[in-house]
Amino acid sequence: MPRLDSPAELEALRQEILSKRDPDKPCITICSGTGCHAYGSEKVNAALEKEVKKQGLKAEVDVRRTGCHGFCERGTLVVIYPDGICYVNVQPEDAAEVVRSAKENKVIDRLLYVDPTTGEKVIHESDIPFYKYQNRIIFGNNRRIDPKSIDDYIALDGYSALSKVLSQMTPEQVLEEVKRSGLRGRGGGGFPTGWKWQTTRDASGEPKYVIVNCDEGDPGAYMDRSLMEGNPHSVLEGLTIGAYAIGSHEGFIYVRAEYPLAVENLDIAIQQAEGCGLLGKNILGSGFDFEVKVHRGAGAFVSGESSALMTAIEGKVGEPRPKYIHTSEKGIWDRPSCLNNVETWANVPLIINNGANWYASIGTEGSKGTKIFSLVGKVNNTGLVEVPMGIPLRDIVYKIGGGIPRGKKFKAVQTGGPSGGCIPEQFLDSRVDFDELARLGSMMGSGGMIVMDEDTCMVDTARYFLDFLADESCGKCTPCREGIKQMLDILTDICGGRGQDGDIELLEELSEVLRDTSLCALGGTAPNPVLTTIQYFRDEYAAHINEKRCPAYVCKELVSYYIDPAKCQACMICLRNCSAEAISGGKDKIHVIEQSKCTKCGNCFDLCPPRFEAVEKISGESVPPSLPEDERVLVRGKE
Amino acid sequence: MNEVTLEIDGQKVRAEEGTTILEAARSVGIDIPTLCYHQALTPYGGCRLCTVEIFRGRRSRIVTSCVYPVDEGLVVKTKSDTVIRDRKMLIELMLAHAPKAKVIQDLAREYGVKETRFKTEDPENLCILCGLCTRICEERIGVSAINFVGRGVARKVQTPFQGTLDVDFDACIACGSCASVCPTGAIKLEDITPKKPIPILSEFEMGLDSRAPIYIPFAQAIPNVATLDRDQCVHFATGKCKICEESCEAGAIDFEQEDEIIEVEVGTIIVATGYDQFDPSVIPQYGYKKYDNVLTGLEFERITCAAGPTEGKILLKDGREPESVAIVHCVGSRDQNYHEYCSRVCCMYGLKYAHLAKELANADVYEFYIDMRCFGEGYEEFYKRLSEAGVNFIRGKVAKVTDEAINDEEKGKLIVVSEDTLLGKMVRVPVDMVILCCALEARSDAENVAKLVNINRRADGFFLERHVKLDPVATPTDGIFIAGCCEGPRDIPDTVAQAEATAAKALSLISKGTVTLEAAVSTVDESICHGCGRCEEICTFHAPTIISKDGVLISSVNEALCKGCGSCAVVCPTGAIAIKHFTQDEILAQVAALTEA
Amino acid sequence: MDQEKIDQIVDNYTGEDGVLIQLLLDVQKELNWVPKEAVQRISERLQIPLSQIYRVASFYKSMSLKPRGRHLVNVCLGTACQVRDGPRVMDRIRDVLGINPGETTPDMKFTLERVNCLGCCALGPVMVVDGEYHGKMMPAKAEEILKGYV
Repeated sequence: MPRLDSPAELEALRQEILSKRDPDKPCITICSGTGCHAYGSEKVNAALEKEVKKQGLKAEVDVRRTGCHGFCERGTLVVIYPDGICYVNVQPEDAAEVVRSAKENKVIDRLLYVDPTTGEKVIHESDIPFYKYQNRIIFGNNRRIDPKSIDDYIALDGYSALSKVLSQMTPEQVLEEVKRSGLRGRGGGGFPTGWKWQTTRDASGEPKYVIVNCDEGDPGAYMDRSLMEGNPHSVLEGLTIGAYAIGSHEGFIYVRAEYPLAVENLDIAIQQAEGCGLLGKNILGSGFDFEVKVHRGAGAFVSGESSALMTAIEGKVGEPRPKYIHTSEKGIWDRPSCLNNVETWANVPLIINNGANWYASIGTEGSKGTKIFSLVGKVNNTGLVEVPMGIPLRDIVYKIGGGIPRGKKFKAVQTGGPSGGCIPEQFLDSRVDFDELARLGSMMGSGGMIVMDEDTCMVDTARYFLDFLADESCGKCTPCREGIKQMLDILTDICGGRGQDGDIELLEELSEVLRDTSLCALGGTAPNPVLTTIQYFRDEYAAHINEKRCPAYVCKELVSYYIDPAKCQACMICLRNCSAEAISGGKDKIHVIEQSKCTKCGNCFDLCPPRFEAVEKISGESVPPSLPEDERVLVRGKE
Repeated sequence: MNEVTLEIDGQKVRAEEGTTILEAARSVGIDIPTLCYHQALTPYGGCRLCTVEIFRGRRSRIVTSCVYPVDEGLVVKTKSDTVIRDRKMLIELMLAHAPKAKVIQDLAREYGVKETRFKTEDPENLCILCGLCTRICEERIGVSAINFVGRGVARKVQTPFQGTLDVDFDACIACGSCASVCPTGAIKLEDITPKKPIPILSEFEMGLDSRAPIYIPFAQAIPNVATLDRDQCVHFATGKCKICEESCEAGAIDFEQEDEIIEVEVGTIIVATGYDQFDPSVIPQYGYKKYDNVLTGLEFERITCAAGPTEGKILLKDGREPESVAIVHCVGSRDQNYHEYCSRVCCMYGLKYAHLAKELANADVYEFYIDMRCFGEGYEEFYKRLSEAGVNFIRGKVAKVTDEAINDEEKGKLIVVSEDTLLGKMVRVPVDMVILCCALEARSDAENVAKLVNINRRADGFFLERHVKLDPVATPTDGIFIAGCCEGPRDIPDTVAQAEATAAKALSLISKGTVTLEAAVSTVDESICHGCGRCEEICTFHAPTIISKDGVLISSVNEALCKGCGSCAVVCPTGAIAIKHFTQDEILAQVAALTEA
Repeated sequence: MDQEKIDQIVDNYTGEDGVLIQLLLDVQKELNWVPKEAVQRISERLQIPLSQIYRVASFYKSMSLKPRGRHLVNVCLGTACQVRDGPRVMDRIRDVLGINPGETTPDMKFTLERVNCLGCCALGPVMVVDGEYHGKMMPAKAEEILKGYV
């Protein structure tokens, strides 16, 4: 890779790359994000490459491993360009057929996506409802790029924004543009990015630092990971532009320990960019220096908090610091430091290339641009979705998400991770943006969106989040360390049937104090899941406390399993698989669960053939007495 | 530094930029409760108890005052309803975490928190994770022997690899700072390190108590200021600490201070260097330093002092009160092996101890004496009173003190074996405590002092007075006076009288302005003297000095210093120096007159 | 423990500040845990007090101060997997291995860890063994997979 010493040389390289690529040449792209990797995409890729070689089609068909496409429910995804034919659930055995069809420009029917509502097959990616209603201005590029190839990025106008900034704009102009765009932080805080940059620029102290927060600790959120794995150059470009605007020459990228592929692709991207002169000393011959270091996290959610992250970069234990002096004035080693989320940085090149006005035209009054959400949980089309701010929540869950699987009833959407809250059905028409979600008692957070249905217990959900936070609390301040533990104890008791009158009030009391006195947002927002579930699902709490009943049949201690003798066909499947040996019965003998031995593992419920559905869950009432021994003989032919 | 004005609880407060609300509040006497705050450590913000409510315009916020910086126009309320509510809940949480910690119980009482609604996992836990111990070890002592370990509720204070560390890596220096700064007493030195701390024994408390490296010697010290023991100070050892400097409001501590040599010209010197107590460990049969409860007189003084190590209670080493006490006279005095003289004061203070032992501990007292020397005002009467009060007086020299019991009655006791001359036999008296009335002896550096000021010592080691009966406060050296026990053992009334006498003598010398000298001083015939210097060499009073006069070396005599002893005249090879009125011619003339019949 | 290996890792970061966490991660990767001798050696080389290094190692989940088993079993309990019955899978694995998350089996075969979101939410519940991903887990399936490891 030759070193580029001017914007003109970058353009020339871009043209050169494009000239070598035939836009009409079929390209088989395989999604190789971690999600599809778990589906076995590596094997699919290997099979495809082998087939191309075998069929002698190297010159006629390209195979490209790309970053995450987003439709994680249907991995492994393979998309044939330039037509955009999308195949889902591809297996290695399909390789030969896929290659041939790419060459012959044909379509493989059986691998197409079937719309569950219409029953129709959809050929083109853009027509699939999951993609159709999205606005993938940032994430869309993932499907066109092999993250290990800087050429792919350059071919898609990559680094043109940086080039423009370094040659045509002053730092102040860049700041103005970002401010006017209305971009707000995508990590959860939603703070106006342009203002944060300005404060850092104005603060005294050298050197100034810029930081990418790729800790993404919220359970259920993995957008940053897919962006970092799939398109690391977009983040690097945004970061370099930001550094130029702020006056920083040193940057850190903090990636959590659980993302080894992101670290790998990032390292490669940095090496390539430095080799090209797009990073490091004298970028594109402009005289601007900017260097970047990757810092790995080590398994602590609290270290994703901005002041804790900076402390971790200093090599110390990643605990939060008191917030009264802003980190943009005194951050890493007490120097001005500007920390932004991965997605925030990735938005910057778009703003520069297309202008603040264009960016501000997307979204709502208070929240501009798009947001990438991880839509997961009880929803048909789980995956990563990018939507304009202000889209109704209903659209995300039903139009894009495809609704709740197995015909179950929607119950709530949880946003904002452990700092957020649960939004019930009555607010499904709310428009999703920073302020609206906050008004509902939740928050945007980093973008995790977990759909819950009638089989989700909201009290257990609150307990789950507190359990998570108790595990992750650094333990420095009393309210978080002691308060979360006590709230968890109370909720565990409620889920275990030991709830008492006054528990809810005590939880609310504790919540107020945690909000006021916690040192950082982990403790300060810990009450949110509890308070929103109490607010919107108080009846579930009442059932647990007063009736010792779990309406969703989730809380183990409140649920009993019972085999309906009228339905049991004595097939022995549950009996053989009961790890507690609690089921008695035999061929032609009705099966009975002995309650004292039952561990509530739910295996029998899972395994009872759907046509019998003999195993029931009972909560809040006593289990019917077992049939006497002599009456347990099965008489077939009975209805 | 800029100053800002803020309002705390309705009071206008001025504070320097950069101070915290807590510091500003404390500077005007407004108290905000804290647990994890220490003035000499960086603010931690962990306990959250110092929470206050701040107002800017109509918006209010809850912040911790120990870290929040003051700002112009800030309005602070330290006891608003929200603050009190928050503090109460925090205390309730802490009460569940460490129910037996006294400081938490006190706070609970103060804030009306009667009980906690929360579960306690470990009722014996005392640690509230305030971090004071870890911070003092890291920031001030500089060794970081202990630190936090783990996170969340599993967080605790520990040494790394607790208990399994190689000695080389045990960074603890056993200074005990962690234990002293812990608000609940949760941390104990023996849990941190097997190293035993070497206490710095207080010289004033006769080694019965310890002191810090920086200390005020005793309550009545003159000047009543602290002194820093460089050899024990952590700052001089590690370069860190300096907590004392931080805490001193007067800013009086200066680590750069060096010894100053001050030269003062004076005409009179009073030597009042006192005495040393005889060390009875050279008499091994008395068991001093061998047995726990054998004490010297001065040690017993500290024990009975209300400001002493036992707050005035007479206690044995293990904390019990003694049921019986033996007081042994003439330890080191009137003894051919040690000091032949009588130390004059021991009989009386021995009686004083008997009285105290009876009054304070209600103990049986056995006084072993050779003679009872009660010469002063009220002394004989006191002796009589004590015999009537039941003190047992046994006339005899104590042979030994032992713990080897020969019967049940003696088990666990110290047995004083002595002759009873009045009964005519040996007695064994079992007691709990033995007090040795030790001799008063000349100080160990008396020789150096004597050389320094040019005075002499007697055979018994004390300084020599000019005349034992008629001039007891002056010395043969003009202008040098002695007072007090440096001249010999004496009691308080006598010492005071002597001190006043010495002062008067010194003052009269000073006020006279002129001094009458003896006429018989040496004089130099400059025509004969050739400046050999032998007179200068031999004179102990430094009266003659060799000077250069008109290019010639000659001896010059300071008549004020000359005592007329005549040593110079004896050594002078030329006869140039001679005593006035005793010149060769004069003596020969006297001899001639005598022989003229 | 090979002191040379530790020295090599420390040498990689010569001249850099704030590298303690990265160093310890490398040691963890190299030796499968962080032994006492490694902590002592790092303390000597970097002149950082022993207690500070120990504190860092005890704070983070990715570092283990106790020896780890041959096979690392990560069970995801992120919100999405939680909602899809992940806890039942964890319960079964706990029963089968006889240990709690954070512990190692006495025969040093398995170490069980709970993870909060691996980013494969579509495949939830997810279990990863030695870096190999197993999606759409059910308690019985998980047990079967684990039995296949020696």
